[in-house]
Amino acid sequence: MTEASSAATVASATQPQLVIDNVFKQFGEGPGAVIAVDNVSFDVKPGEFVSVIGPSGCGKSTLFNIIGGLLDEYSGNVMIERERIAGPHKAVGMVFQEESTFPWRSVMDNVAFPLELQGVAKSERLDRAAHFIDLVGLKGFEKRMPFELSGGMRQRVSIARTLVSGPQILLMDEPFAALDEQTRLLLGDKITQIQQELHQTTLLITHNLTEAVQLSDRIVVMTYRPGKVKRVVNIDLPRPRTSDVVSSDAFGHYVAEIWADLREEASRGMQDSENMQRGRARRG
Amino acid sequence: MAASGEIRTATMGFRAKPNSMARQTNIIRIAIVLIIAVSWEALSRSGLVFKDVVPSLFSIGAAIGKLLTLPAFYANLQVTAWEIFLSLAIGSSLGIFVGILLGSNRFMSFAYEHYVYYLAPTPRIIFFPVMIMWFGVGIASKIALGALSCFFTVALSTAGGMREIDKVLIRVGKSFRATPMQMGLKIYLPAMRVPVLNGIRLGFGTATVTCLLAETKLSNQGLGYMIMQIYSRFDMPSLYGLLIIVFVVAGIGNLILGKVTGTSA
Ligand SMILES: Nc1ncnc2c1ncn2[C@@H]1O[C@H](COP(=O)(O)OP(=O)(O)OP(=O)(O)O)[C@@H](O)[C@H]1O
Ligand SMILES: [Mg+2]
Repeated sequence: MTEASSAATVASATQPQLVIDNVFKQFGEGPGAVIAVDNVSFDVKPGEFVSVIGPSGCGKSTLFNIIGGLLDEYSGNVMIERERIAGPHKAVGMVFQEESTFPWRSVMDNVAFPLELQGVAKSERLDRAAHFIDLVGLKGFEKRMPFELSGGMRQRVSIARTLVSGPQILLMDEPFAALDEQTRLLLGDKITQIQQELHQTTLLITHNLTEAVQLSDRIVVMTYRPGKVKRVVNIDLPRPRTSDVVSSDAFGHYVAEIWADLREEASRGMQDSENMQRGRARRG
Repeated sequence: MAASGEIRTATMGFRAKPNSMARQTNIIRIAIVLIIAVSWEALSRSGLVFKDVVPSLFSIGAAIGKLLTLPAFYANLQVTAWEIFLSLAIGSSLGIFVGILLGSNRFMSFAYEHYVYYLAPTPRIIFFPVMIMWFGVGIASKIALGALSCFFTVALSTAGGMREIDKVLIRVGKSFRATPMQMGLKIYLPAMRVPVLNGIRLGFGTATVTCLLAETKLSNQGLGYMIMQIYSRFDMPSLYGLLIIVFVVAGIGNLILGKVTGTSA
């Protein structure tokens, strides 16, 4: 406990590596416009693991794409190492929410893709890719094509592909959504392990509360439409942390606390879509 | 037994056709060919129609045998094959290039794509007089016409393929900061492989039709020219024989292209 809090004070003394400053993004104009991200501000320090949690449709993926430099036409600033980003930043690696393996490449060639772009020699490329394939538990599947794998396995290929590029800042958009609970916990352990070893700054987007508490140093809770920051919660659970932490009292405490906030937002989201359906039924 | 067989069919249907179905199709195919052949021969011998219009299968067979020994046949075959090959090469390259422009650029597609759609179904042969004026009566005008017809097919399927690329794959490439060249070679091209190759295969068909058609109109060599020559002699067995040969050669060409491109019928 003391170890963790001293680590936290050291971290808070250092400069943030990633700053999200008043980011605002609206889709469309006029009455049909949707405010996806509404003046969101938070920052992430080097080596810190931060999760953004919020109900479906609250603007998490939009924020993710903005931070990744894939979406311009937003207002506010995204700064990495105190510089405003212009397009995808070289320090950032992204894992997408959607199915994103290349269907024409084998598992090995998928994972080696970023190294191929960097012009890494073939033998080194294969070695490094093999290491991360092993890490996500896909050893023996190197030669398989994506269509021969399950959805969860394909998602692990995408994770390995991003990890192999050795990003200083890892952005992940619901990377574990397609996985079963056990795989999710174990892969979460693996990610935490690498993250701690490489001191990798990580921003995880999720709507899974257990996952967020298990992995994070800090959790940013977002509201449902417009997507604002509702609360930021520090998670002072000891590190090194494994999935065993899930059964601890402190863990349950955090989950209960954040769930209260989240439930409010999620039910607003549900109501919203119910109203929309009812409106549609009335019109139709 | 039967149930397990059915499960296999259901799960493997996507990859491999069950054997019994293939055998059944083959039997039906052979039966249909036999029925047509027998009816043809019966009609030919019945004397109901003019003997020259429906010649006996045996005379057609003999004519095919004779054609296959003629050096002129091989010379003409070579000319036509060369025309089709060049049409396909030129038409596909231009088609892929323009297709990528149309597919990737919203302005270009808005401004020009409907013209391509309007022009695509017009019979290319109506441009033949223009091609003769530009390229002369030799093989160049046939190649130009063949390339033109192949171009439309390939351009449209490339543009369509370009638009159907899974957008997230493009974002993956960008997030890894791929250069435009790398995006093209490692993402767009492989992602569009299937529609582009299908376009090229269809382009082969249209190029073949167009080249042969053009040869029958105005030329002094090629299989189309040879068909018209035989026709002018009213040598019906040879005419049917040559048509069958052309049919088979085109089929083999399509088969080879299918094998090479890895797209099967
Ligand atoms: N390209 C777009 N054009 C118009 N509206 C969009 C676009 N992308 C997202 N939106 C809208 O913005 C809102 C936020 O979408 P976003 O994908 O960021 O949600 P999310 O929090 O990632 O949801 P989920 O958890 O289901 O993935 C949604 O209401 C969505 O309809
Ligand atoms: Mg999302």
